[in-house]
Amino acid sequence: MDTGLIIYTAAFGLILIGSTGIVLSTHLLRIIFGIALLEAGANLLLLLATFREGSSAPIIVDGRIPAAMADPVPQALVLTAIVIGVGILALALSLALRVQRAYGTLDIREVRQRLEQDIADEAGIELSSSSDAPHAVVSRQDGPA
Amino acid sequence: MNKLVLLVALPLITAFLLPVINRVSEFAGRWTGPLILLITSALGISLWSQLGNNAVAIELGGFRPPLGIALYADQMAILFAVGTSLGTLLLWPNVGEDRVRQSTLALILAASGSGLALSGDLFNIYVFYELVAVVSYGLIATQASSGSYAATLRYLVVSSFGAAMALIGIALVYQATGTLNLAQLAQLAPTRLNNTQGLAAFVLMLIGFGVKAELFPVNTWVPEVYATAPTRISGLLAGVVSKLALLIIVRLLVLVFHQPEALTVMLVLGIMGVITGELAAWRARDFKRMIAFSSIGQLGIMFIAFSIPGKAGIFAGLAVALHHLVVKPALFLLAERWSGSLSKLAGAAKASPLAAALFILLALSLIGVPPLPGFWAKLLVLVELSEQAQPLYYLGAFVILAGAALEANYLFRVASRFYHTEEGQTAPAAHRMPELATASLLGAALVASVFVLTPLSAQIEGIATQAADAAQYIQTVNPEALP
Amino acid sequence: MRRLSSALFLLGLGLLIAAIFQTMEFASVAPIAGQAINAVAAEQVGAANFVTSVVLAYRGFDTLLELTILFTAATAGGLVLGKPRAGASHDPDSGFILRAGADLFFPLLLVVGLYIILHGHLTPGGGFQGGVILASAFFIPILARPSTTMDHRRISMIEGFAGASFILIGLLAMLGGKEFLTPLLARGELGALLSAGSLPLLYIAVGLKVGSELAGLLAQLSETEASD
Repeated sequence: MDTGLIIYTAAFGLILIGSTGIVLSTHLLRIIFGIALLEAGANLLLLLATFREGSSAPIIVDGRIPAAMADPVPQALVLTAIVIGVGILALALSLALRVQRAYGTLDIREVRQRLEQDIADEAGIELSSSSDAPHAVVSRQDGPA
Repeated sequence: MNKLVLLVALPLITAFLLPVINRVSEFAGRWTGPLILLITSALGISLWSQLGNNAVAIELGGFRPPLGIALYADQMAILFAVGTSLGTLLLWPNVGEDRVRQSTLALILAASGSGLALSGDLFNIYVFYELVAVVSYGLIATQASSGSYAATLRYLVVSSFGAAMALIGIALVYQATGTLNLAQLAQLAPTRLNNTQGLAAFVLMLIGFGVKAELFPVNTWVPEVYATAPTRISGLLAGVVSKLALLIIVRLLVLVFHQPEALTVMLVLGIMGVITGELAAWRARDFKRMIAFSSIGQLGIMFIAFSIPGKAGIFAGLAVALHHLVVKPALFLLAERWSGSLSKLAGAAKASPLAAALFILLALSLIGVPPLPGFWAKLLVLVELSEQAQPLYYLGAFVILAGAALEANYLFRVASRFYHTEEGQTAPAAHRMPELATASLLGAALVASVFVLTPLSAQIEGIATQAADAAQYIQTVNPEALP
Repeated sequence: MRRLSSALFLLGLGLLIAAIFQTMEFASVAPIAGQAINAVAAEQVGAANFVTSVVLAYRGFDTLLELTILFTAATAGGLVLGKPRAGASHDPDSGFILRAGADLFFPLLLVVGLYIILHGHLTPGGGFQGGVILASAFFIPILARPSTTMDHRRISMIEGFAGASFILIGLLAMLGGKEFLTPLLARGELGALLSAGSLPLLYIAVGLKVGSELAGLLAQLSETEASD
């Protein structure tokens, strides 16, 4: 099979798996892993944008210039994108640590509930339904936007 | 003119050295940040006057685009660059104890905002956008409350998802054209991007850059973040950063994506934004979230305006954007003391009469009551919408009018509470001097603009005409000839 | 309700991606910038590794911003994580194998990291990759012996000066009348260690900054309070 096709499938697969993880997961760490996978897929796609089969690295070794050199620009772009991803991931994990310490849980349904409760408490308003009721989470999802 | 890059480099190098400066002298550590921002803003204003009606491009590193990165400064770009520096200076954060880190983050926000407005390379825009995102995560988290951590994390997840989508869009564009320079993309767009791939790339980038612009449906983070962040940071994010994100989308529309479907997508999402934002604001029961939802509605109006093709759309959208840039931070500054439930605001007029009067002024301008500039901006949008042929634009006009009616209702519901004392309820505390002073300054600017409306309008129209001129962009940047 | 809307959203995304997949042509367009860079980079910049010339010369501005993102993430992380917990330096040491391994690895990692940084313009690698290795070199001993705490003051000083020197080298070009981040100094002989002008200096700054930043961030993560 064509190498490009295989790697394209891999990139799109990573993107889909990452997106699914972010959208459907309920555990914060799994969502963060989903972000990492999604970014990996996007980086791979960027690298493949100007992929040419049979080209070699754009480096001059021992004075020999390779015949067909790959495009160096996406490699530099992906370098930047990976470092950005690492920075954001580190920050996300720090925040998850503090959220865990504050709320005692990493289940995003409970975190969202506690967040609403915190905002309501700070503003001094009462939530429409009791926060102990199990259906409270569902009713709040139908909120605006 | 290559001093333009100092708008980015100067706050950046100060941010890097701030921890060291702070160790040497705490006084210097406290005041270096605002001083540097003052210098940067002054530099920006002097460059703006030097620029006049022209546009200029800078080749970073001395390499001609598309090999290198180009910065492009037309009036709109410099306007927003200076606006970011001034806004950060006016809304300088002052929460809690860790002053050094906050000042560092604020300086980086000013630098990255200016760079975002000035950049002329697609991937450079993406990196600046991510920088603004990370800085805003840090600034929101300075509140150090459990709510702010959770809200920041939610914002991070949505924003990272959007950023990955934008990166995929950039990959698609690069795959179709082979270049990242906006001027060359403008040259290649009619032949290479006028297809499904181009539209898909635009939609992905719209989702990505639309997170900060509070686009529907990636604006789920807005109420939580604005409710838990420090009020000055909320003002900065809602007022300044959202406009920067919108600016990028407008540039992409003018230069790269000329398909009418792209405008239709923006129109539909803008209409949804106005509907959901205004309805949610109407139902809100605390002050901060009310103005947060209202800003979603206002940004929806801007999206509707920018979806009108040609210079007319940019003129109308720019008018609404500049108006919102002044009003929203002022509202958030007033929210500092009024951040509680709406029912607790009874009798606030007795405690801070100036603030109550300011609120009424801002509310009137937001709804669109003459002779305030908000009226003129909304009128411009409605007039341009009515001149379009497609029926969807009429729906947009109707939605904006309905939104204005809702705004009038919920804003005056709050305002009437100020002047209505209730038994057994203590009024909220009076506003502190810094917030009140800055809010009054913004309110005064609003009133002053009423008197200079005609020349101001002509100026903005000039900015819009220049921004809509793709041919001039290509000529100014002057990239290498296409192979 | 939420699961339904999420599933619908994913379906829409999947369809969008399938549409892109179908219409996309592989390897159809020649990269304009890439081909031009491959042709002229050797004479213009003088680095044997063309990717380095893109990262530091042609797109040096992007690299500066990337550094800033890492710096911002570390600063924000420090803000979020707060003060280290009291008992952090009294954690028990790891077992003998880990301690001996850490002691063995430290000089090796240091040498490899510095090598990769210094040869960034000749072979694949550079400041970021080498910086990460340096960060692990300084962090692994802390993992093995938690009683050796990281000196955060020194780290923030190295961070600050390294980042500022990157910008300073860029600004120095402006003093000479050229644009920001124009490569300076003599280009030298292609393939020699001392070539490509100011590029190795930039990469050293990058490597030091990334190394100190990541080491500091990792140390803060390990020192912060564990949940009960």
